[in-house]
Amino acid sequence: MIHTAICELLGIRYPVLQGGMAWVSDASLAGAVSNAGGLGIIAAMNADGDYLREQIRQTRALTDKPFGVNIMLMSPYAPDVAQVALDEKVPVITTGAGLPSQYIRAWVQAGIRVLPVVPSVAIARMVQRMGAHAVIAEGGESGGHIGELNTMALVPQVVDAVDIPVIAAGGIGDGRGMAAALMLGACGVQMGTRFLVAHECAIHETYKEKIIKAKDIDTLATGRRLGHPVRALKNPFTRAFYAKEYDAGVSDQELEAYGAGALRLAAREGDAQKGCFMAGQIAGLVQRRQSAAEIINEVTGQAETLLRGACQWVK
Amino acid sequence: MFETVVKVLADYKDLSPDDITAQSTFEQLGVDSLDTVELVMTLEDETGIKVEMNEKLKTVGELVKLLEEGRA
Repeated sequence: MIHTAICELLGIRYPVLQGGMAWVSDASLAGAVSNAGGLGIIAAMNADGDYLREQIRQTRALTDKPFGVNIMLMSPYAPDVAQVALDEKVPVITTGAGLPSQYIRAWVQAGIRVLPVVPSVAIARMVQRMGAHAVIAEGGESGGHIGELNTMALVPQVVDAVDIPVIAAGGIGDGRGMAAALMLGACGVQMGTRFLVAHECAIHETYKEKIIKAKDIDTLATGRRLGHPVRALKNPFTRAFYAKEYDAGVSDQELEAYGAGALRLAAREGDAQKGCFMAGQIAGLVQRRQSAAEIINEVTGQAETLLRGACQWVK
Repeated sequence: MFETVVKVLADYKDLSPDDITAQSTFEQLGVDSLDTVELVMTLEDETGIKVEMNEKLKTVGELVKLLEEGRA
């Protein structure tokens, strides 16, 4: 079995994290992933503290294993949910969309493991200095909000720049991706898209069908003009958004407003026309619905077999 | 300190030092949020000063102030 520094740091069996995806990563999915030996993560997304508290309690009812909370720092409720995570003493916090400067000290002092998602070397170095226990280096192959660098280029550069463990994310959907990430110097992986089709993932059936049917070229990154690009499956919504993005007659505010609520429409209503079905480039590889436990066992098992066989090329 | 920031920033982004004032915003200079963090880390390496940065950092003058506070 594959055992790394991340397993020790977080108290988990397999070095596999489930990404904190807005409108997707709730107690049901996070509890199942943690029970399967990975680290399940609840997305605090743009919701208030009461929502997060309820999700944390539901997760605790499902599992006695460690789990995490992802805090989206651009959320208007960020200070509120940061406090709830602290009060509830969640085992792990991951952060996205900004620097956790305001909160990280209190979290670390409370014994919470803090793992910021980082898109660059400089940000990785900065959060290490703030006291982060590890970083999640996420490449632009991933779904949802993305950075500029890709996983293959980002991970080894971050590994060289920091002394804390690095988890690779973006474009990892099976054991091959996991083995490659470990070879790049990461000591764990975070997957999002693969878990979208988990039995325990409560998103709309249409969303799951779209992921299963997706091919390699079926995702598109939009919103670069707004400074925070998003990767999602190509559909009428993303195509229209993409067209508006290059239309000088559409203001940034109008563009932002057009995108608001589209992820909820995808995840909850399965609205194929107006929904934004966020997904990573690896969606084409995801072909079967499985339980979270089957996904984790398959990915880690395949990575182990590949790594054991890797010496075949060394003469 | 202002001179150091201008020198590092001009070098990093191929800007003319004359175009950088304390009032220049990073946005005007084409320095995005990722670049800003990179700039701060470069300046830390250069000066040995550690700064506490957050997203509110908007102008060159604010960065100079932050570094001067860090030195004190």
